[in-house]
Amino acid sequence: MTSLTVRSAGWRRPIAYLGGAVLLLGGLIVLLPEGIGAFPPEWDVGLGPAVNEVQQWWISNRRDLGVYLYFFDPLSDSIDWLLRAFENLLLAIPWYVHAAGVGLAFGRWLGTPGGVAAGAGMLYFVALGLWEQSVQTFSLMTVAVALAVAIGVPVGILAARSDWVFRGLRPVLDSMQTLPAFVYLIPVLLFFGVARVPSLIATVIYALPPVIRLTNLGIRQVPTESLEAGLMFGSTSGQLLRKVQLPQAVPSILAGVNQTIMMALSIVVIAAMIGAGGLGQEVLLALRHQEVGRAVEAGMAIVLMAVMLDRFSHSLVGQGRMGGAARTQGLQYRNWWVAGGALAAMAIAGWTLGWTDYPTALQFSYAAPIDGAVDWARDNLYQLGNLPVGTGPFSDFLTTYGTRPMRLYLSEEAWPVVVLFFGFVAWWASGKKLLLGSVVGTVVIGLLGMWTLTMDTLSQTVVAVLMAIVIGLPLGVAASRRDWLERGMRPVLDTLQTIPSFCFLVPVVILFNVGRIPGIIASVLYAIPPVIRLTNLGIRSVDSEIVEASESFGVTRRQKLWKIQLPLAMPTVLAGINQTVMLVLAMVVIAGLVGGAGLGLEAVKGLARSDTGLGFEAGASIVILAMILDRITQGWAARFQPPSSDRG
Amino acid sequence: MKGKVLFANRFNETDATAEAWMADSEEHSDSPSGQPILASGVWKVFGKRVADAMAMARDKVDQSEILAKSGCVVAVQDATFEVNWGEIFVVMGLSGSGKSTLIRCLSRLVDATAGRIVINGQDLGEMPELELRELRRHTISMVFQNYGLFPHRRVIDNVAFGLEVRGATREDRYQKAEEMIELVGLDGWATNYPEQLSGGMKQRVGLARALAVDPEILLFDEPFSALDPLIRRDMQDELLGLQERLKCTMVFITHDFSEALKLGDRIAIMRSGAIVQVGTPEEIVAHPADDYVRDFTIDVPRHKVLSAGTVMAPFSPDMVLEGEPVAVSARLEAILPRLLTEGRPVPVVDERGRRCGVLEPAVVSRYLWRQ
Repeated sequence: MTSLTVRSAGWRRPIAYLGGAVLLLGGLIVLLPEGIGAFPPEWDVGLGPAVNEVQQWWISNRRDLGVYLYFFDPLSDSIDWLLRAFENLLLAIPWYVHAAGVGLAFGRWLGTPGGVAAGAGMLYFVALGLWEQSVQTFSLMTVAVALAVAIGVPVGILAARSDWVFRGLRPVLDSMQTLPAFVYLIPVLLFFGVARVPSLIATVIYALPPVIRLTNLGIRQVPTESLEAGLMFGSTSGQLLRKVQLPQAVPSILAGVNQTIMMALSIVVIAAMIGAGGLGQEVLLALRHQEVGRAVEAGMAIVLMAVMLDRFSHSLVGQGRMGGAARTQGLQYRNWWVAGGALAAMAIAGWTLGWTDYPTALQFSYAAPIDGAVDWARDNLYQLGNLPVGTGPFSDFLTTYGTRPMRLYLSEEAWPVVVLFFGFVAWWASGKKLLLGSVVGTVVIGLLGMWTLTMDTLSQTVVAVLMAIVIGLPLGVAASRRDWLERGMRPVLDTLQTIPSFCFLVPVVILFNVGRIPGIIASVLYAIPPVIRLTNLGIRSVDSEIVEASESFGVTRRQKLWKIQLPLAMPTVLAGINQTVMLVLAMVVIAGLVGGAGLGLEAVKGLARSDTGLGFEAGASIVILAMILDRITQGWAARFQPPSSDRG
Repeated sequence: MKGKVLFANRFNETDATAEAWMADSEEHSDSPSGQPILASGVWKVFGKRVADAMAMARDKVDQSEILAKSGCVVAVQDATFEVNWGEIFVVMGLSGSGKSTLIRCLSRLVDATAGRIVINGQDLGEMPELELRELRRHTISMVFQNYGLFPHRRVIDNVAFGLEVRGATREDRYQKAEEMIELVGLDGWATNYPEQLSGGMKQRVGLARALAVDPEILLFDEPFSALDPLIRRDMQDELLGLQERLKCTMVFITHDFSEALKLGDRIAIMRSGAIVQVGTPEEIVAHPADDYVRDFTIDVPRHKVLSAGTVMAPFSPDMVLEGEPVAVSARLEAILPRLLTEGRPVPVVDERGRRCGVLEPAVVSRYLWRQ
């Protein structure tokens, strides 16, 4: 009972407080002496140079360290060997055998049209001369995913069997999923340097959480009665695991593997910065040389690979869920032998006749027309005639009224006020604990010497999130009211969520040139699906009885939306906004590659110049910022849970 | 029809079993290994401050107050009962009365907090892991409320599960599983998956799975409560038929009093963790221990449950009685028409034909319509 009153008090903490705080702090700025501006640069504790020194020492001494000689080096060598062996094997097989094999596999699981499309898709990699890079990316990813599964499934099992392990792991997994991908590169860079194995290690670490999480979840979701039935027949704990728990967890584990694949693919480009090679390298180089056409070609190859892998692993999840009933359909085992034999015969024929390369006459490239289009867009769309219409005026508008004033306010006005404001928002959203955390966090950012850059990134993030909400929320509401709109939007949202974050930069650069605005636009595109999806879901899952009850009182559509549907959907909508904030932050960092400025650019510089110290400082600031924003939005969402939900 | 016949049979046997049990428990009072299940002073408390909660429960403190003060839930308190060979022992109570926890204590799916449970003469609480597993593999089996089937296994592999974990060969276990599937009337469904079956069929699979290991003791945790009324009645009849043939000991949990009356040789009634009354259906209907139990009996068609022996007045030699006597064990159902048309007392005779009591219309009507 007591908890109820506390909760509802917290629940009612009004939004007007925020407005009051803004006014109060605005006044405070006027009262404070002139001299207090941005966080004083002389307070920089100089962590960056220190990190660099450690790295130098490490590099020069690591040959003598036992862990390197007897653990890291052999490990790294064997991973490297595995990677190369796999890559060479794939490269040795003629491309048409691959195309036929992939087509057959897709045909088996997704039906004939899927098979044909997949087989044709394979031609894309070859025809554009991206075969070798594609194979590199694919094998790096396959090995990374295999390692992630090999580590993640046992860890997930452990977590499912021991609450201790689970409680210890959960905060780690939670924070791993809030961190932008590239943060993983920095410590790996520190210990392993630039090469393929470190980028593989970073990929494995980044892609690990979903497997662990969903293995654990799958096992824990096995119904109690099923477990009791297993126990009642005298199963040993090993029998229980093998015969009862794991088989029922399979769909969940496969869903985890699907997510892991997508995450591994999304880090491909970023990992190229520390030597992963492959398609990511191709995109990176093309962007660096401003060859947009080439970047689009390679980017599309990544998207294609992502879509194919997603569809394929998704269909496996579906099969797992359907249980054995569906397993008897499709090709029979005998036919598999025939198919395998035919493929082998094709390969042998290719080798003996020397037909292994893709005929150069059939190669093509659409880079030139794209480059042409880019030039055209740059010349024409930027501003339509003398009218204030076009991408140029639009981005000027955003800069003048959005990012610049906010950036200047945050980074040049008195820093203690900004810290206080942060603390207040944290308290308002969640409570005392977060207030302390966010005050300490922001001061640490200042001490790292990243104050101005962080405020730059923050202003970009806020503008992007607001844009995503302003566009996404109405779309979500509209989709919740019209089934055809929901159906039409689903594939679009699916695609947006499948495309690796990096690929959004390419078209945006075409339209908006380089700078902060293209980064923001790319972030909005990348981060908008959760708001739309979860607003739609939240409104649709409001209990129909409640809606009918409101209708029986004769509400208008507008009243129904504002008084019933939105308030009840709020926790879900806010969960969507939380995801959007995290995605925007991840993207704003990547936008550093196209001149987005702020922490992202700094991190990119750090990676590109092997200035680990700089990367470390920028990375740590991003982590702190991400955690504060995550906790604030989550705390806010939690407060909207109806108070009754934790009773009974 | 078949159900009705069985219904009547049950009650005829009941008296004999109850008497045998009385005699038995007197005979074996110092060696309690005579029963397959003996529970004495069993407690189950969920939470940390177990001792406080137990003390409060002993002082008859209310459940919700115990929860508020100690953070503990007393699911089972001081349960003592015996189950006899070959009987169906029903534990009846409303939801939250601790009956599911009690049945889980009997197989140590839940460890009892205090008290002793003896299965076939072995103390369950002290049983090492290995022996417990053997006990579950060979002696006790369980049927679950929501079937507890393995969704990833075909019907036949579900039924064969118990044999599989104890290491039977593929051939043996499939042969046995086929027999069991036939026994519960699911021939032809062996290779289907549970989700392709209706609720009643699923529970047949659950039953076949439990029977496949040839258990001596079967535990049922509200097995029919998720089924439609008609299917439930079929399953009850089938269970009675099976018990007739297999003669194993059954502990059956239900929240449905009429199900308890229909199936139980003896019934234990639970209320907030404690056993309020144990007795044959007739004893409970005729002499409910308190208002709580009486509440359940109000809607019971008493003439179908009560027998002449229960409602007869003592016989005194000076009474002059006319008419054909009725047997002690005869149901009121059969006697009532005569009693109502003749309107005079009817003599009652015991098994040997001696007069032992008299049915007075006034006394009988008090039993029948007592609130």
